[in-house]
Amino acid sequence: MAQLAFDPKSIGAGGTPLTQKRESLWQDAFQRLLRNRAAVLGGSIILLLILMALLAPMIAVKPFADQVLVDQNRVPGWLVSIFPSMEPYAKFSSDYPLGADYVGRDLFSRIVYGARVSLTVALIAPLISLIIGVIYGSISGYFGGRVDNIMMRIVDILYAFPSLLFIILLMAFFRSTISDIEPGTFAYALSRLDEALGGLLFIFVGIGLTAWQTMARLTRGQVLSVREKEFVEAAHTIGASNTRIMFRHILPNIVGPLIVAETLAIPGYIATEAFLSFIGLGVNPPTPSWGSMISDGSRAIRTYPNQAIFPALALAITMFAFNFLGDGLRDALDPRLRGTQ
Amino acid sequence: MGRYIIRRLLYMLVVVLVVSMITFLLMHAVPGGPFTQEKTLPEETIRILNERYHLDEPLYVQYASYLYAVFIPHFTATPPSTSYQDDFLLNVNIGPLWIRWMNFGPSYKARGRTVNDIFRDNLPISAQLGVMSLFIALLIGMPLGIMSALKQNTALDYFGMGVAIFGVSVPVIVLGPIFIWIFGIELKWLPPTGWTAKPPFFLGFLPSSLNWEFFQHALMPSVALGLGSSAVIARLTRATLLQTIREDYIRTARSKGLHERVIITRHAMKNSLIPVVTVLGPLFAALVTGTFVTELIFGIPGMGKYFVTSITNRDYPVIMGTILLYAVFLVLANLAVDITYAYLDPRIRYD
Amino acid sequence: MHKNFYVLSLLVILSMILTACGGTTTQAPAATEPAAPGATEPPAHAATEPPAPEGPKVLISTFLGPGDVPTIDPAVVQDVNGTQITDEAFGGVTHLNEVTNLIEPGMAESWDAVDNADGTQTITFHLRDDVPWVRWNGTDVETVKTCDGSADRIVTANDFAYGIYRNQLPANASPYAYLLGFVLKGAADFSSGTTEDFSTVGVNVVDDQTLELTFIDQVAYNPQIAGLWVAYAQPKWIIEGDCEGGVEARGERWIEPGFFQSYGPFTLKDWVHDDYISIVKNPFWPGSDAIPQPKLDEVVFRILDESAQLADYEAGNIDNVITPPLSDLDRIKADPALGAELSVSPQFCTYYYGFNTKAPVVDDVRVRRALSMAVDRQSLIDNVTKGGQEPAQWFARPGLAGSPTMADHPDLGIKYDPEAAKAELQSYLDEKGVTADSLDLSLQYNTSAGHQAIAETIQQMWKDTLGVNVKLVNQEFAVHLDSVKSRDTPQIYRLAWCLDYPDANNFDRENNAVNGSQNPAENGEPYGGFNWKNEEYEALVLEAAKETDPARRVELYAEAEDISIVQDAIMIPLYWYTDLDLTKPYVVRTYSSTGKQAFEKWDILPH
Repeated sequence: MAQLAFDPKSIGAGGTPLTQKRESLWQDAFQRLLRNRAAVLGGSIILLLILMALLAPMIAVKPFADQVLVDQNRVPGWLVSIFPSMEPYAKFSSDYPLGADYVGRDLFSRIVYGARVSLTVALIAPLISLIIGVIYGSISGYFGGRVDNIMMRIVDILYAFPSLLFIILLMAFFRSTISDIEPGTFAYALSRLDEALGGLLFIFVGIGLTAWQTMARLTRGQVLSVREKEFVEAAHTIGASNTRIMFRHILPNIVGPLIVAETLAIPGYIATEAFLSFIGLGVNPPTPSWGSMISDGSRAIRTYPNQAIFPALALAITMFAFNFLGDGLRDALDPRLRGTQ
Repeated sequence: MGRYIIRRLLYMLVVVLVVSMITFLLMHAVPGGPFTQEKTLPEETIRILNERYHLDEPLYVQYASYLYAVFIPHFTATPPSTSYQDDFLLNVNIGPLWIRWMNFGPSYKARGRTVNDIFRDNLPISAQLGVMSLFIALLIGMPLGIMSALKQNTALDYFGMGVAIFGVSVPVIVLGPIFIWIFGIELKWLPPTGWTAKPPFFLGFLPSSLNWEFFQHALMPSVALGLGSSAVIARLTRATLLQTIREDYIRTARSKGLHERVIITRHAMKNSLIPVVTVLGPLFAALVTGTFVTELIFGIPGMGKYFVTSITNRDYPVIMGTILLYAVFLVLANLAVDITYAYLDPRIRYD
Repeated sequence: MHKNFYVLSLLVILSMILTACGGTTTQAPAATEPAAPGATEPPAHAATEPPAPEGPKVLISTFLGPGDVPTIDPAVVQDVNGTQITDEAFGGVTHLNEVTNLIEPGMAESWDAVDNADGTQTITFHLRDDVPWVRWNGTDVETVKTCDGSADRIVTANDFAYGIYRNQLPANASPYAYLLGFVLKGAADFSSGTTEDFSTVGVNVVDDQTLELTFIDQVAYNPQIAGLWVAYAQPKWIIEGDCEGGVEARGERWIEPGFFQSYGPFTLKDWVHDDYISIVKNPFWPGSDAIPQPKLDEVVFRILDESAQLADYEAGNIDNVITPPLSDLDRIKADPALGAELSVSPQFCTYYYGFNTKAPVVDDVRVRRALSMAVDRQSLIDNVTKGGQEPAQWFARPGLAGSPTMADHPDLGIKYDPEAAKAELQSYLDEKGVTADSLDLSLQYNTSAGHQAIAETIQQMWKDTLGVNVKLVNQEFAVHLDSVKSRDTPQIYRLAWCLDYPDANNFDRENNAVNGSQNPAENGEPYGGFNWKNEEYEALVLEAAKETDPARRVELYAEAEDISIVQDAIMIPLYWYTDLDLTKPYVVRTYSSTGKQAFEKWDILPH
């Protein structure tokens, strides 16, 4: 055996070893995420919100559904310093930290409980969209060829559907067919669940049903690019089954961008729920949701701006948080930025 | 390129057909018809109305007649009449022959209008609002994005992204009335409501006079609507520019000693435009159709409300017409985007 | 570097708050001073001039509300907005005074009624001969000439007969064809297509100025219905063509600007859909005591959403708005300038919660009465609806012909009585052996912020007073309406009824009786809606319809209301509507109680 003229290990300026201790992608990403202050802020806000939503009964002392008619539109005293024009007509009360709405319900409690609705939408709708989209997209991308073609054509066609209108049609359909179903059937159970959630079930389903297409496209694209990689070919060669390759090799490598995309889409879902509430297809009263509070409050925005601005603030902060987190996740998971910063 | 376009247009036809079928079925599956109202119409009247609009025929017959009216050009010797059921978008007269195409039907709710009337009168206004919002979105979004990218991780970057996220997080429902309050009522700088352009339009969709009054009315709604999109554009521009700057060819250009500004404008920008152009298509389609809230708040007589109210009114022809319109818009917008790709990136070739 | 970030994010959030409250430093009174339109920014539309002292008097109003007018063809018009325009542009043989609700001469100067032996009634209307047809030709109003151009086309009895014909023609599928079908001899057969011969209908043109109408019953409200839009004169020549092709047949599209022809105090000038519709003064209208010549030159009805209307009113661009948003009422009332501009006038609608009297739980009249008596209507009005409405003790609003009034029947109907309510419910609970909170009750209403507020409040009232938990269900409008008249009508549901013509018959019989709008029946047996049949009630309203003595009619309707509201409690009447307007101080106006204004009596002062 001939001696090598050089020591492979010592290639590199100044004799530094070529190989370095490699962290896993996830550990590296997580560390980079932690270094991104914006993302940390976003994440902490979200955690705080979740906490607030869970501990709502303890934080919001006043019940959110109790109407105290005589306390309609009450305004806390400190609000006048921000909006001096409210002086002539506003009725003050220190019982309500943020004021009361048009039937005398405490705004603060409603915002706290409203977090539940918005967070549930923020977390479940993307879940539905992810599950359907990823399964669909991976099948399409993995098998390729005609299967891929047909599946993607279907997605294209569904894409051309204005999602909002589709949701409205769906809502009108679901809500109305509910009135005459017998107990004991699956549909009945669904309607009970919907009621328990204050009318939310069909909102998730509606949003999820219209959002999965983007996820499917993304997944397919990712699967297509990863499919050609050597390690997949290697797995094929040693006889791994399709499912095994999918779950063990392909999915873990593509899940990063998917999660990022979904996180960045969450503000859109929250906005969709707000819009649905605005046109009256949102939650059933008295369940509060930030969207319905904004829509109720927007009509009074010149007279009692607090009724719209505080839930809008809550909404904005939440969306900020998800945006920061999403951006941070994307920067953290981007392999090209690896080793930088 | 020509063959590619033709193929895409044919494909659009298929998409539109499928969309129409799904909409038609879903629409009729929702209970409640177009003639349900607080004061019940006598059965007799409902029967006659259903007969008049062919709602008493089996679904597949109704669907087939709809397809015939909308997609297939009619060749006839009779000149157009004034009946509401006889309103075609395209009427071409060659000698004794009339070629007529695209009859979307009458509106059930607004007895004095057809869907084509809505397309002719209201759609251009929404389109104008959409174009102006897009313009504002680009005007605000791109500079913000560029600035944030070039000064990454500085105060300016955070400010830019802050403004962007603000735009996306505060809905028009809140922003609109606040604008009206401040600029319309308190400061009285701008008129709170209204839209000066009205039919007849120049070339069918442009306002007949682009005067100062028009811009006064258009400013607030366009900004309120465009702010959200500007955020998307800003973030996208920032992200792509950040990536492009790190590319090798930029490093080469720098090492050649080129001026920084030239590098950015001549080399980096063109490539960063591609993702922005990608979203422009769907963004424009969404803007034109998502004008519902803005038009409501600012009193703009556009098409936005028809998208939503047609469903609550069960106004079938309007529902079909608006959804088909959206589908066509979207596909055309995507096509325009793809063609712009080819212009921007010479490596992309279609066959 | 990182510190900056925290500061910046705080700044961003702060800037949001600041943007929201920027501009509120100006004091309220000064900011809401209504600025003279001429002094502010250029007018909203090129079509309207800012009213200058010597210029044309243009009233800018949002009276028609936020929706576009579907049509202004009297043959097929259906909604209040459309009929407001047709009322101004046309006119019936009789005219309803918008304040007193009494019949006055309209296009007919006088009329005589003859009761026939077979139970029908023939009324002969003597029409004016000095009212020409007019149209807007782009610059001013001109009269419509006959074929040879020598004379003006005058409104004749033929035009009225043609109007009735068009309204009843099955092909036009008029939503209000049934109204004439109820009262005019032979009309129902013609409009349903049973016969195609219009001569079988009780319309007879004796000569150009004499019109004979034959009615099925000898009832008091025949002249009223004859004066409604369903029997306005219509211009046959522009609809079907004339003068051997000289006048083009416009068919259904004759109502479009440029082709529209009418004869009343105003005529159509311009109509930009969803934007505005404007009517212009008709100088050829001779004027009468009942319908004077208009003082305004033009009225522009802008079509805007509630909040947008108010914003433009406060900016000084609109002279009159209707129904300012509820949430702004506090501020408006507290504002010295705006508060003075606010006016409340009665409107002929009743807001109520109906029962399905055969549905579980509410099939017992004690439950129904208890729910009805547990509602504190005054509190609802003071705190929720806030429009100065009147608590409704019965259904047919006072002010209609035949309706009992609060003055002469102060204790008629149902009132807020929590003790009695509790007692009623207790009697039911004891008999059934259940507790109040175990009752399964639900209330359905159509989606709207206003209905929601009322429903939530009443839900709370029922809980506090009776201890029952009523579920709230909201449905989209069309679905809600479908459901409340179906065989599966919900237990409790929200509805309102507004007048078609100002007579108690329109309320008590046409809504409540078997086969009425809210009591659909098959072969005389109700199956949905109220699901209710009371022979005594049916007899009472039938008798009251035919009774000609006004005092006796009131007594009959009072008895009927007692049955429907108290004894059988088929509904919970909640409140009688009122209209809230904001009008600039320089507008001189009348206040209608029918829901439609008479703009020919309005004026604008120099300002």
